[in-house]
Amino acid sequence: MPFGRLFIVLNMNGFSLFSVFSRNSFIASKPDPSKPNMLRVGLAFGSTAVLWALLFKQHSTDVHEYKTRNGLE
Amino acid sequence: MGLLPDEAKVLPPPGIVNRNSVWFGLCGWATAMLHNSLNRRPALKAGVHRQALFTTVGWFIGYHLTKYENYKYATLDRDMNEYMRLHPEQFPEKEPKTFAEIVEPFHPIR
Repeated sequence: MPFGRLFIVLNMNGFSLFSVFSRNSFIASKPDPSKPNMLRVGLAFGSTAVLWALLFKQHSTDVHEYKTRNGLE
Repeated sequence: MGLLPDEAKVLPPPGIVNRNSVWFGLCGWATAMLHNSLNRRPALKAGVHRQALFTTVGWFIGYHLTKYENYKYATLDRDMNEYMRLHPEQFPEKEPKTFAEIVEPFHPIR
């Protein structure tokens, strides 16, 4: 993915300037990407679905309100 | 509509795909990818749930921002038209001129 390489260039100087972003203070365990926290993943996808549903519902309500108030239906 | 008054419902609602939604969605996606990069993960392939969530939040905010923007512009237009209606002397109708009357005469120097 050549687009991903653009971001990795930030760490090319040998030591990472950005290690402070991911370091915990005392427990200091490296986050393991092979064992995802499924609760968080499920919550993220769930809230994504909820937000899209809310958006579509709000849109259809708005369309209906617009048509009713302007006498088009 | 939380920040919009009731009269704003007269306006046509923006489409699901609108300029602000696309822009904020892309900004959310870029934020998720930047988060991946700063934590030394592959930018596009890691944390897809995060990318989806941030894009969705951006899209949602963009939709409501478009509605707010439409309402603000509609009130400005209404106030402007009302002013023009109340002060017609400041907006006289001008006769349209043809190009023949505006353009200067052509004297070729060859």
